[in-house]
Amino acid sequence: MKRDYTKLKCIILSILVGLLLLAAVFADHIVPYDPYAQDLEHALLPPGGAHLLGTDRYGRDMLSRVIMGGQTTIFSSLLLVLIIMTVGTMIGVFCGYNGGKTDTVLMRISDVFLAFPGMVFAIAVAGVTGGGIINAVVALACISWPKYARIARSQVMAMKEAPFIAAARLSGSGTWKIIRKHMLPNIAGPVLVTGVLDIGTMMMEIAGLSFLGLGAVPPIAEWGSMMSSGRSMLQTSPWVILAPGFAIFFTVMLFNLLGDTVRDVMDPRRNKRQKRKGD
Amino acid sequence: MRKKRLFHKKAGAVLLPLCLAAGLLSGCGGGSTDTKTEDNASAGEKVFYYGDTTFNAENDESDVNPHNGYSGWACIRYGIGETLFKYSDKMELEPWLAAEYEMTDENTWKITLRDNVTFSSGRRLDAQAAKECLDDLVSVHERAKGDLKIKEISADGQILTITTEEPVPALINYLSDPYGCIVDMEAGVSEDGNVAGTGPYIATEVKTDTGLTLVKNENYWDGEPKLDTIHVKTISDGDTMTMAMQSGELDAAYGLPYASLPLFAEKPYTISSVETSRSFFGQMNYDTPALQDEKVRKAIAMSIDKENFTKTLLDGNGTAAEGPFPANFAFGDDTVTAPKYNPEEARKLLEEAGWKDSDGDGYVDKNGENLTIRWVTYPSRQELPLLAESVQATMKEVGIKVDVNCSADFQSFLDKGEWDIYAGAFVCAPTGDPEYFFTTHCLDESSKNRGGYHSDKLQALEEEMKSAFDTEKRAELATQMTQTILDDNAFIFASHLKMSIVSGEGVTGLEAHPCDYYEITVDLDKN
Repeated sequence: MKRDYTKLKCIILSILVGLLLLAAVFADHIVPYDPYAQDLEHALLPPGGAHLLGTDRYGRDMLSRVIMGGQTTIFSSLLLVLIIMTVGTMIGVFCGYNGGKTDTVLMRISDVFLAFPGMVFAIAVAGVTGGGIINAVVALACISWPKYARIARSQVMAMKEAPFIAAARLSGSGTWKIIRKHMLPNIAGPVLVTGVLDIGTMMMEIAGLSFLGLGAVPPIAEWGSMMSSGRSMLQTSPWVILAPGFAIFFTVMLFNLLGDTVRDVMDPRRNKRQKRKGD
Repeated sequence: MRKKRLFHKKAGAVLLPLCLAAGLLSGCGGGSTDTKTEDNASAGEKVFYYGDTTFNAENDESDVNPHNGYSGWACIRYGIGETLFKYSDKMELEPWLAAEYEMTDENTWKITLRDNVTFSSGRRLDAQAAKECLDDLVSVHERAKGDLKIKEISADGQILTITTEEPVPALINYLSDPYGCIVDMEAGVSEDGNVAGTGPYIATEVKTDTGLTLVKNENYWDGEPKLDTIHVKTISDGDTMTMAMQSGELDAAYGLPYASLPLFAEKPYTISSVETSRSFFGQMNYDTPALQDEKVRKAIAMSIDKENFTKTLLDGNGTAAEGPFPANFAFGDDTVTAPKYNPEEARKLLEEAGWKDSDGDGYVDKNGENLTIRWVTYPSRQELPLLAESVQATMKEVGIKVDVNCSADFQSFLDKGEWDIYAGAFVCAPTGDPEYFFTTHCLDESSKNRGGYHSDKLQALEEEMKSAFDTEKRAELATQMTQTILDDNAFIFASHLKMSIVSGEGVTGLEAHPCDYYEITVDLDKN
């Protein structure tokens, strides 16, 4: 009989992501060089020697910049996911619980946002607000919240008429208490899984905006903008663009794999299957 | 009832593929014109593809009408129009459409035109045609009007007599500016901004931001153009252009990124490079209180590493600058001095001016506020973002915080006054004469004196310059004027551009010219 490795996989991936996050948190302390110190005498050195990943056209150490860029990219995507998860869930719960005209209006607004191509909207918003990583996060948050509102709303609506909610109401619980004690814990699962799965996507979108010059502004180390500024050297000094490129690739892959496994672990059907197997 | 509904379904099923087919066909229709031009190319005609970064509205070159903004640059660059006089490789004036000139008195110039020139419209070039063109120029073009100060033009056969309101010593130089391209005003300006010039090629299709199509001028007066058709393509992204050049889609290109030039260093490619008077410089905003302090300005000038900027970041494609004019001019860099890169000295100056790092954040401050410079620049000249980022790092060493604002929309920040230093690129002596730079940038009434700079000494020197006819005297005055603005540190000149044109296999006759705007000539050929 095949063993189920999902839990193990989840643990390993969590450790890897944990390491990545630690590297991002302590980036200031682990970088071998100052990622912003220019040294034009040593510009565009190939990887190896004193600079493990080489240097860019300003003579800045690529390894230090990739590590520092990780801090910017990972933290801004985590911040973004946190924002849209919180805001989206709050709106969704409110709509699902209250219903009525506000629900209709808010859901039509979310329909509009869902119908819009996300990146195009983000580019427009970031273009109006100007560069800066915070502006990029705000721009992407504007377009990404409806997904969570939809999930939360449908869950709450399904739950609203459930016997245990009715019981809670009969025993004198107020709206706030019902939402907090009974509803939020029950919808947390699907929302969280969507959130973890979204981190990779959001990271790509933030890097994409920065690549277009609408996210992080130079000299801030950020993977997308690093790739953009190295673009013209793809053929002559490829390490300048490959280093941040692979960093994005591995990080996004890691977060996506983690998201998948977390979904598998949280999947109630999987537990049932296992129980049946155990029986 | 049921049958009826069935019919509707069928109708829908037929309609849908019909719509799809129509969509597909219309898509093909758009593409078929392109294939047609390709077909022509293979029929033994010589077709040339030229890539350029600057033929677009952002550079104020929206068409080829010389009387419209900087569009004259496109007109002359692509061999559509020609001016009365032209520049040699040493930037000395030579006759072109005119055979000779004579100054009868301080305000009167007698110009004799060649008698074998015809416009592409078929009209012969005579003094009357030139008069019509210049009359229109000064009535619609503010910059030309200010430069030329024309009072009256009279035409007699091939002799054009220009009377100016006051002595304009550099009149012949100004007439050789791209706005001075002589076009047939009877043929007029078409809706898309096309004109009838006298050059070796005739524009048939002008599309702003996209490019234009040129065909051979069969009746060209100075030899036979060797190519039948030239497609000029505007490719603003340097990397896209690099790839187009590599794939053979383009035969030649101007404006490739420095980082890609090494890719074209070997055969079959050839690179033609030349020093131009296009300079990259920073302009100080005198409305900023901190920059009103002479010592702060000097400290800033001393914290820009021009040598390494040109050597490393521009890959040697340029020279570090002192003033606006490169060393090959008589009034160029060899005759003036600017503060050298010296972070130590800069720090000392800042301290003398009362700027000290009292809170230990690495930036100097005064009254609790860091010395922050809002550095406004734009990206369409690839050197400018590099300069900004380099300056940001070297100024940080000295303790000055630089906030870079690099935007195609830089003008709106300048208009709103949200800037401290504006870094731009400008061809400082497009006509070989020095006065132009000062009248455009440094005087009280200059349109590009964005920072409100004023110097009594400079104003006095300009009064002298206005009426100095002797070239040597003008050069000497220019040196003094340059030194004045450098001593005031009102401008910081970082580097002069080395302009490079890359030619592909078999391309001959494409040479970069120090004036920046002679590119496609009658000599251009492809074998």
